[in-house]
Amino acid sequence: MSAPADESALAAAIATAAAAGEPLAIAGNGTKRAMLRPVQAARALSTANLRGITLYAPKELVLRARAGTPLPEIEAAVAAQGQHLIAEPPDPAALFGAGPATLGGIVAANLSGPRRVAWGAMRDHVLGLRAVNGSGEILRAGGRVLKNVTGLDLCKLLTGSHGTLAVITEVTLKVLPAPEAVGTVALAGLDAARGVAALAAALGSPYGVSAAAYLPAEAAARVGFAHAVALARIEEFAPSVAYRTDRLRADLAAFGPAEILDDAASRPLWRAVRDAVPLAAGPADAVWRVSVRPSAGPAVLDGLAVAGLAGFLDWGGGLVWLAGPATVAAHAAVCAAASAQGGTWTLFRSPEPLAAAVAVIPPEAPALASITRRVKAAFDPRGILNPGRLYPGL
Amino acid sequence: MATPLETVIAAARDLLGERLSTNATLREHHSHGQDTQPPHLPDAVAFVETTAEVARILALCHTHGVPVVPWGAGTSLEGHVTPVRGGITLDLSRMTRILATSQEDMDCRVEAGVTRDQLNTHLRDAGLFFPVDPGTAACTLGGMCATRASGTNAVRYGTMRENVLGLTVVLADGRVIRTGGRVRKSSTGYDLTRLFIGSEGTLGVITEVGLRLHGIPEAISSATCQFDDLRAAVETVITVMQSGIPVARIEFLDEVQIAASIAYSKLTGLEAKPTLFFEFHGTEASVAEQAAQAEAIARDYGAHGFRWATDPAERAKLWQARHDALWAALALKPGYQGLTTDSIVPISALAEAVLGTKADIAASGVTAAVVGHVGDGNFHTVILVPPGPEGLAQAWELDKKIVARALALGGSCSGEHGVGLGKREFLEQEHGAEALAVMRSIKQTLDPRGVMNPGKMFLN
Ligand SMILES: Cc1cc2nc3c(=O)[nH]c(=O)nc-3n(C[C@H](O)[C@H](O)[C@H](O)COP(=O)(O)OP(=O)(O)OC[C@H]3O[C@@H](n4cnc5c(N)ncnc54)[C@H](O)[C@@H]3O)c2cc1C
Repeated sequence: MSAPADESALAAAIATAAAAGEPLAIAGNGTKRAMLRPVQAARALSTANLRGITLYAPKELVLRARAGTPLPEIEAAVAAQGQHLIAEPPDPAALFGAGPATLGGIVAANLSGPRRVAWGAMRDHVLGLRAVNGSGEILRAGGRVLKNVTGLDLCKLLTGSHGTLAVITEVTLKVLPAPEAVGTVALAGLDAARGVAALAAALGSPYGVSAAAYLPAEAAARVGFAHAVALARIEEFAPSVAYRTDRLRADLAAFGPAEILDDAASRPLWRAVRDAVPLAAGPADAVWRVSVRPSAGPAVLDGLAVAGLAGFLDWGGGLVWLAGPATVAAHAAVCAAASAQGGTWTLFRSPEPLAAAVAVIPPEAPALASITRRVKAAFDPRGILNPGRLYPGL
Repeated sequence: MATPLETVIAAARDLLGERLSTNATLREHHSHGQDTQPPHLPDAVAFVETTAEVARILALCHTHGVPVVPWGAGTSLEGHVTPVRGGITLDLSRMTRILATSQEDMDCRVEAGVTRDQLNTHLRDAGLFFPVDPGTAACTLGGMCATRASGTNAVRYGTMRENVLGLTVVLADGRVIRTGGRVRKSSTGYDLTRLFIGSEGTLGVITEVGLRLHGIPEAISSATCQFDDLRAAVETVITVMQSGIPVARIEFLDEVQIAASIAYSKLTGLEAKPTLFFEFHGTEASVAEQAAQAEAIARDYGAHGFRWATDPAERAKLWQARHDALWAALALKPGYQGLTTDSIVPISALAEAVLGTKADIAASGVTAAVVGHVGDGNFHTVILVPPGPEGLAQAWELDKKIVARALALGGSCSGEHGVGLGKREFLEQEHGAEALAVMRSIKQTLDPRGVMNPGKMFLN
């Protein structure tokens, strides 16, 4: 593993590899190596040594840091100014057994936590990037201002491209003031369909619900509930949280009596939801994330129980977390359930044999796939960056 | 032998009949947007009604190498729709079907020609609304996607970029693709949806748009306040944003603009002084609380004349006045054209940028009003262009100065209007040669014959 000391050394390493036509496996701290498909490359290149916050203007709500900066370092810096990362990115330690994640890795994977449902994904808060393309050229995309409309949106293309288009070397993010307090309305004992209906009502309410998850009994037990629970989070100034959780509980009365969880109970609970702690994923199990219309989440979750898969719902029902045996049959069942609801799936974590044997994300329709190939070629004409990570042959 | 253009026009007429027009008045109407770029006539205008028709026309134009310019409502401000190389203007304004709306999933799918007014009227009964509100109600959702539009609500709800779930796009060669989907975390592969958002008709034609919707807030309140000093107004904005008050709209109008709006929109109780307009969305209680916090901050900075409007009619009048700011400014100098600048800077540099702009205006001798979505550092200067070529040259020179300052302060030449013809020269400075080369390479590979809105975005 080579870990260049700065951006220009990293660019030089890529240029050398490009000249030799040598594929590179790109990593930050390598926490998500078990995500998606295994990369076929003789050599690995890491951004781990590109560290440090290069600009933080709390007044401007903007932070810029090098890609290898560990996420906890960034979270601590913004917390010291009473701010937070809007998309609430997960800590990979729970699922991948390694940490900490780097900023570049989180952005390259476009990973977002529960707040995604109300405030958008990681991608929505990336204002600008620096990156090195597959020819070893340093690119700037976006900037530091809050809206930018000039030119094609390379910034959004690179976010979530999993290191297959360019190696991100620096990220400029929008941050926001952190809420003073957190509260949760918890409705116990509902089945998934009723639970998601309650979450839809909560999200449609005027109380500014910032997260909405449903945990079936088994998942709920892992975070200390005796029954299945539907959870709606409110983050605000302290008096507002008290008032709003109360009003929300009253509005949801038709779904049964609700418990209100205070700040001290809510913070660790949502951190657990963020990191997929309610998922019963043994070391040999595979983990999937299915995205569907929120109202279709319960059907996917319930329907997959017979295939030996268990999980929970986040994003109001729109994100189905699943864990189960790492077999082709289980994978096929997940894909079928997601497709039947018009949704998409990601084989999020799996032992290599399964990841290498199946499509880890839905194959694109031919016309779309040809655009994907062309976009790839525009950034990485020799195809040396993370080949095969998303699709075989790309 | 027929020229390629004649061949395309004949075949398009077979397909569309009367809806393919070479009528002089219609071509004149499609020769420019709402800008000061020199007009240029298209050779024909095609009023398409379905994705299939768009696909047929694009395939034709691609085969014969004839330029195609997509047209929504022609409201764009940088010469985006001017067919500088002639060819076919593809008018999508008849594609106005609302295909699906889901209250429980808070989303909808519409054809590209649906206007934001039409959509919001349709959604009202469902208790939903679509928040992106550029200052013209006529624009289409397809055009808003293509220009990556935003508006006064962007600080709270985001821009088109954050509110589009997926698209149906016809590529240059006539192939139809569907990007994204109905699901929130839609893209598992590359985010091709976002590639088309802001592509200004240079990569393909958007025919359908999936949108994320929002619940109509239970309570809304608006306020105005005034300052003796522009810097105090800007500091108020920065402090409000930083304090975490979830303000829905925060708009700045300088003394020239507010004077124009007082006259044009018959606003009462306001003076010709730097002014802020606020709006808060939420519950009755939270709106009152947010408003009190914002008022306290503003008063700390010396604001006076605080006025609250919770009555819907009064509020509507206020925001109509904000939306009519351009027309109000134009009414200051009858017979003058307007040139609107669109720079955006880091919010910490906003006071410096606006004060510098005011100094440039004073030095230039032209009249100009400053108005902006200051919550994100974006402000417009409406330059009143004196008639005649000299006046236009003067206005462009002022525009360039304003852009240069924004770039020097780490900002951009455009926060929402886009590149079109007018801002092409700044693209390289802003993004660097390498990023521009990647953009060109994507353009080249998706539109190898260069028929999609040629001459826009890139200088060549
Ligand atoms: C008075 C006024 C105030 C404004 N205020 C704001 C503001 O506050 N914020 C803001 O962001 N903008 C503002 N704008 C600009 C506005 O957002 C754009 O004009 C609008 O989004 C363009 O929509 P349209 O349907 O008129 O598109 P057009 O002007 O017809 O087209 C715009 C561009 O998009 C392309 N295009 C159009 N439709 C499609 C399609 N279906 N597929 C592919 N390409 C297409 C065209 O080729 C062209 O390049 C303002 C404009 C005016 C006139």
